[in-house]
Amino acid sequence: MAYHKRPTSSYQPCETFFVESYEDFPAPRMDPKEHAKMIARERQYAIADELSKVASDEFRDDILAHMLDMDASTLPDVESIDIQTEIQWFMRPYLLDFLIEAHTAFQLLPSTLFLTINLLDRYCSKRVVYKRHYQLVGCAALLIAAKYGDKKDRVPTIKELKSMCCSLYDDDMFTQMEWHVLQTLGWTIGHPTVDSFLQMAVMDTSYDPEVEHMALYISEISLFHREFVSKPSSDLARASLALARCILNRPQPRHTEWASQYDSMTLVGLSQQLHQPSQILFRKYSSAHFSRVSKILEQFLARQASVANYTPPSPPSDVNAESKPYEGEIGLATPQKAPHPSNMPHGYITPPITPENDAFVNGGNNTFVKGVSGTSACSPSPTPPPSMQYVDSHVYQDSTFTQGQQFLQPQMSFTTTY
Amino acid sequence: MDNHSSLRTQRHPHLQQQHPTSAYLDILSTLASPKSFLFNHQRPKPPPPKSPTSHPVASPTMDKAQQPSSFQQLEKLGEGTYATVFKGRNRQTGELVALKEIHLDSEEGTPSTAIREISLMKELKHESIVSLYDVIHTENKLMLVFEYMDKDLKKYMDTRGDRGQLDQATIKSFMHQLLKGIAFCHENRVLHRDLKPQNLLINKKGQLKLGDFGLARAFGIPVNTFSNEVVTLWYRAPDVLLGSRTYNTSIDIWSAGCIMAELYTGRPLFPGTTNEDQLQKIFRLMGTPSERSWPGISQLPEYKPNFHVYATQDLGLILPQIDPLGLDLLNRMLQLRPEMRVSAHDALQHPWFHDLPQMQAQLQQQQQQQMSGYGGLVASQQAY
Repeated sequence: MAYHKRPTSSYQPCETFFVESYEDFPAPRMDPKEHAKMIARERQYAIADELSKVASDEFRDDILAHMLDMDASTLPDVESIDIQTEIQWFMRPYLLDFLIEAHTAFQLLPSTLFLTINLLDRYCSKRVVYKRHYQLVGCAALLIAAKYGDKKDRVPTIKELKSMCCSLYDDDMFTQMEWHVLQTLGWTIGHPTVDSFLQMAVMDTSYDPEVEHMALYISEISLFHREFVSKPSSDLARASLALARCILNRPQPRHTEWASQYDSMTLVGLSQQLHQPSQILFRKYSSAHFSRVSKILEQFLARQASVANYTPPSPPSDVNAESKPYEGEIGLATPQKAPHPSNMPHGYITPPITPENDAFVNGGNNTFVKGVSGTSACSPSPTPPPSMQYVDSHVYQDSTFTQGQQFLQPQMSFTTTY
Repeated sequence: MDNHSSLRTQRHPHLQQQHPTSAYLDILSTLASPKSFLFNHQRPKPPPPKSPTSHPVASPTMDKAQQPSSFQQLEKLGEGTYATVFKGRNRQTGELVALKEIHLDSEEGTPSTAIREISLMKELKHESIVSLYDVIHTENKLMLVFEYMDKDLKKYMDTRGDRGQLDQATIKSFMHQLLKGIAFCHENRVLHRDLKPQNLLINKKGQLKLGDFGLARAFGIPVNTFSNEVVTLWYRAPDVLLGSRTYNTSIDIWSAGCIMAELYTGRPLFPGTTNEDQLQKIFRLMGTPSERSWPGISQLPEYKPNFHVYATQDLGLILPQIDPLGLDLLNRMLQLRPEMRVSAHDALQHPWFHDLPQMQAQLQQQQQQQMSGYGGLVASQQAY
């Protein structure tokens, strides 16, 4: 897959995290030496392709069978997460945004993100997690996932994680939590990730970075939504891929049995979540490294909406923040994620932690901090009064419900074209 | 030697003392989740049921939980870079085990080698792979409890063979078990990446098992790029030596080929001292590859156009004891081009193994004779 084999895309750009302004970088001029190097690299990839073909012809079926087994045995249990007393589903996007930014900043592999979220969700299926530790669990999961599958020199240090969490947690809390996650999961870390299934599914087709990036983008959007938490990665991968091809108007190939099958309900479910992606995710996938697929998707959805002759309901007037252009606020909550923007009491639910110390912040954060009365941007979200919590969880459901309705029409037209 | 009593510690009481007001207390108090057990029965593979009343911190880590003092620590078997291996005895059953102690770096938590080794070995249950029984965590170390094996292949050759050389039947049996273990790893998308005699363990029944998965990792299809600082130099494949980072299952096969030759001669096949020397030793025997014999080779980072050009030698000349079929298999494993190397699965089908059942019958007889004189050897290995 592109993001593994092509040097430009094998790591995500870390600039998005540290550089305040986010402009497209000019294409680097290539000197002849660089050019020769690139050609050499391409040859290397050709060798790798040949090599992997040999291995895959031999072991593909066995490996796929093993991956499917592991997939089934490492699924989070969404109903157990439902009964968590403190952490609520509306908090999830904040934590995921943080983890996606951290993952990008450390230039980790795509599979590390999926593995992180799998470890996080499996832990939350088995242990009660306090809200103020939600981010700590996420960091421990990221640490384990990076140690398990990523390159040694990219594994975050605890010092780095600590500073990303604005020193909210002590060093040994990370090691404690890491240990506890490992213990709770019985050291079974080898969850086959969505992207590993994606790689398998596209390997018989010709290289199409746009499709692969779009499928990856859709898969990462799915991480934000409860309905996909307990879905097997193999299902998500194939449905994302089919949906990506449909969006990009590519034919659905019928190369191999396994890769061509997908669950149409999963595909429809995914298509219903494309309209309000996390801004962090949108930004990540708007870079050239990812073929700017988030912009392509946005245009596609706009086209779909106009084709259907459908005017989406105008957003509530107080969601202005939502349309505010992104100004480089690093690690900030994406405003549109507030469960119900018109219901101000929820506004103070800050992302669990935003990286706010000097290393990461160049400015632009102050307005946000001011807006959050009584809490520093670094503090975990304060405990809402118990009654509040009750409302919160319902508001979340309400909002998803209305969201679903809002977009019902364009979806329908969209799925019928498919 | 009785520090086994400190194994599997209590719930980090020191943390509470150090941070009376810190969030540690909260972590501890958040562990119980009795309600989540209600949903366990809906899972496809339910985790072992735990009593909702039990304190969560005391929950077993692995399928077979052991009590803190259940192992008596005996003599040291070996010392590796990140671990020390002791012989141990299960106090309840008297069963011998190998205890691999991993020191925990308090700075960075659990080492990635340990995370990979434990999680991969939990997936790899096979007769040709050393079994991991349990993981015990103490304050500052991690103890892995492995099935006990008598010695590693290196020691076995030193003590058993005729100047390190082994007999035909033993070689064939070991190679078959080695390839079975490798095939199982590869079918489960795991690369061992450190196959060498010191990491192959032998027990009194003549069984050979793969040990030390500290460098192992899961791979994807298609290949990812990996570190090329893998495998002990002497057993490292030429493509890796040339700087390729896109190696695959074939690197374990190269190591297996080197090991096979070593079983015949008692000496390492390519005992290089540096990366360059290692390549030279390989080329001297296998012939220097060129762009014609290996398209793409000149693009590999460590490729030098001025490699000394050697002609391909007949491996049979340095391995006079080997039969033609065995030589054929060896040649298929020691292909310079990774994509030409035989897979473990195909190697197991090689005609060389066809007479293995008869030879094993012979071998058993031999072993029974030797068992009588076995007793006094001091076992020693470090390859867990």
